[in-house]
Amino acid sequence: MVFKQTAFIAWLALCALTLVTWAIGRAGYAGPLVAGLLLLSVMIKGQVVIDVFMGLRGVRGPWHWLVSGWLVAVLSLIGVAYWTGMQT
Amino acid sequence: MEYRSQSVAKLYFIAAIGLFVGQILFGLIMGLQYVWGDFLFPAIPFNVARMVHTNLLIVWLLFGFMGAAYYLVPEEAERELHSPGLAVALFWIFLIAGALTILGYLFVPYSGLAKLTMNELLPTMGREFLEQPTITKLGIVVVALGFLYNIGMTILGGRKTVVNLVLLTGLTGLALLFLFAFYNPDNLVKDKFYWWWVVHLWVEGVWELILGSILAFVLIKTTGVDREVIEKWLYVIIAMTLITGIVGTGHHYYWIGTPEYWQWWGSVFSAMEPIPFFMMTLFAFNMVNRRRREHPNQAAVLWALGTSVMAFLGAGVWGFLHTLAPVNYYTHGTQITAAHGHMAFYGAYVMIVLTIISYAMPRLRGQEAADPKAQVVEMWGFWLMTVSIVFITLFLTGAGILQVWLQRYSENPLPFMVVQEKISLFYWLREIAGLVFLVGLVVYVWSFFVKGGERRVPAAEPVA
Amino acid sequence: MAARSSGNTAARPLPGDLAIWFFILAELLVFGVFFLAYAFARAGHVELFDHYQQTLDRTSGAVNTLVLITSSWFVVNAVSAIRANRADLCTRWLLAAMGGGAVFVAIKLHEFMAKAEAGITLSTNTFYMFYLSLTFFHFMHVLMGMVILGFVAAKAYRGDYDADHHTGVETGASYWHMVDLVWIVLFPLVYVMH
Repeated sequence: MVFKQTAFIAWLALCALTLVTWAIGRAGYAGPLVAGLLLLSVMIKGQVVIDVFMGLRGVRGPWHWLVSGWLVAVLSLIGVAYWTGMQT
Repeated sequence: MEYRSQSVAKLYFIAAIGLFVGQILFGLIMGLQYVWGDFLFPAIPFNVARMVHTNLLIVWLLFGFMGAAYYLVPEEAERELHSPGLAVALFWIFLIAGALTILGYLFVPYSGLAKLTMNELLPTMGREFLEQPTITKLGIVVVALGFLYNIGMTILGGRKTVVNLVLLTGLTGLALLFLFAFYNPDNLVKDKFYWWWVVHLWVEGVWELILGSILAFVLIKTTGVDREVIEKWLYVIIAMTLITGIVGTGHHYYWIGTPEYWQWWGSVFSAMEPIPFFMMTLFAFNMVNRRRREHPNQAAVLWALGTSVMAFLGAGVWGFLHTLAPVNYYTHGTQITAAHGHMAFYGAYVMIVLTIISYAMPRLRGQEAADPKAQVVEMWGFWLMTVSIVFITLFLTGAGILQVWLQRYSENPLPFMVVQEKISLFYWLREIAGLVFLVGLVVYVWSFFVKGGERRVPAAEPVA
Repeated sequence: MAARSSGNTAARPLPGDLAIWFFILAELLVFGVFFLAYAFARAGHVELFDHYQQTLDRTSGAVNTLVLITSSWFVVNAVSAIRANRADLCTRWLLAAMGGGAVFVAIKLHEFMAKAEAGITLSTNTFYMFYLSLTFFHFMHVLMGMVILGFVAAKAYRGDYDADHHTGVETGASYWHMVDLVWIVLFPLVYVMH
């Protein structure tokens, strides 16, 4: 089933990105570039869960963009907060 | 009315309105005392007037909730009330106990009242809104248990609708939480911590369930919209209430000596407490928009829509203005608090009781809706009261902003009484608005005695 | 990614009951606000947050992330199964998902106990207050999610669902995905980013 294959690939991608995040944490990398990359990876992971796992892609009504919008808004504002923190 | 036992609601509604008038008179006394401190001193000192004003408010709203339950539960459950006799008996017990308590406040010095009522056996007196002697509080518990038993048995033996069950849950919560009024720790921090379990979890918790279910009932009856649609909205609204309001209690725990994390928890959760009220506004307007009929009781529809708007403004918006800890640090215990408190109580709870009375009273008196002339007068009452509350709130907000600035925020803060002198203009304006409110209330009461006028919308058979 | 798996070009209906999606949005809002409170609080105490973040068990957090992602995938498979009228498979995938939840709970409890033994509480400092609050709040939602999945699994086992009637499965699945989504943000934010 095409759907099952999509879900499996999604699962692999999510695990891979998680391992990358963990590795970055272990290595102790910091700074705005790393923070940005981490946020980007969260964005991708989140969007995969929303589109594939939750199955919101192609759903009628406002639901898909509401939940994706949540992800974008929260992650952007987190980015702003981190940038603010770097100004001190 | 469809079931004869619904008629017991009439007693409760009449008592509610009577006590409401008393509440406002004492409010006006205090409003004047703000600017003329010796008014009625020593006969009715400010603190006594305040006890009477606040206690009357709570008691008349309770009469209103009980009347609402006695009216709508039999209709929803599709059977007669379990025991109309018990409902009448409890009515008189509650009314007489309440009257005696108010008379006690007025005619007996408070410490004497405590001795007279043997407060030392189980001390529960002396806290804001919970000034009642212990025996009165015990009486309230007895009345509440009898009431819940009566309503519960009715629902148990009848149709269990979402409206019924949400109302019963709210009322049961109300009764259970009142038990915390008996818990009076010596430790002042704990005292205040648990006091809010009565007050906050009432008005920002279980009372919202009562409000939501009554609103849903009136909308079902007046719009004819599908019950399932209305019930689904009700579920979502009360879910949001509980999600935000329970941990939202933390917005009362900022400065009373609790750990600092409450400033975070309280701010985060209580910031979202306006959401259920916003949803109620969308809900009410949406249902009226999608209505399948023109109900002859347009006054009741006006009250329902008005409730949702004023509750959102008073409880939601004005509440939000001072809910975040960094703001509340400056505004705590100022006229900002009073501004919010008045509009919130009026918008949410006064108005929902007046909404159900507006819908039910004509039916209890044998009509589907009041005569058109009576409805016009009633609507005048609505507008006079609602607009004057808005002005009261605006004036108190002005007073509060000035007070916060002068007394707390500025470079050289001034003492409390000096600031009170400076903001007294706002108090005079508030009192004038309060007098207009009283006029509105008198007009409202008068509407029950007006007859006549030609019906444009023919009275039809009720739906669902 | 071949997204048109359902084979039609018309928009698909929302999976599960409408009411759960209101609930999910509400939960996302609360967590979102809490995350932002964390991020902005951190901006005012960068050194404190960076310092104490080092004391967190990052490996446990990462393992828990993998556990939740996998358990979410199990739930996706459960929905696929019931859509193919395989209630038996659906039940098994749901139980596997709950197993994943149980692993998460165990690892989390271990983390909490370690912190408790070190004498760390909500009042220790602002970072720990957020760490404990956020993860505890999420933990409660994992428990709630497991209860929901349990209900759904029981019904699936009893044969209450089939290919044409399985809204309950989709509803429970959606809630579980929300729990997963929240953790996907929480882990990097609290355990890693500095």
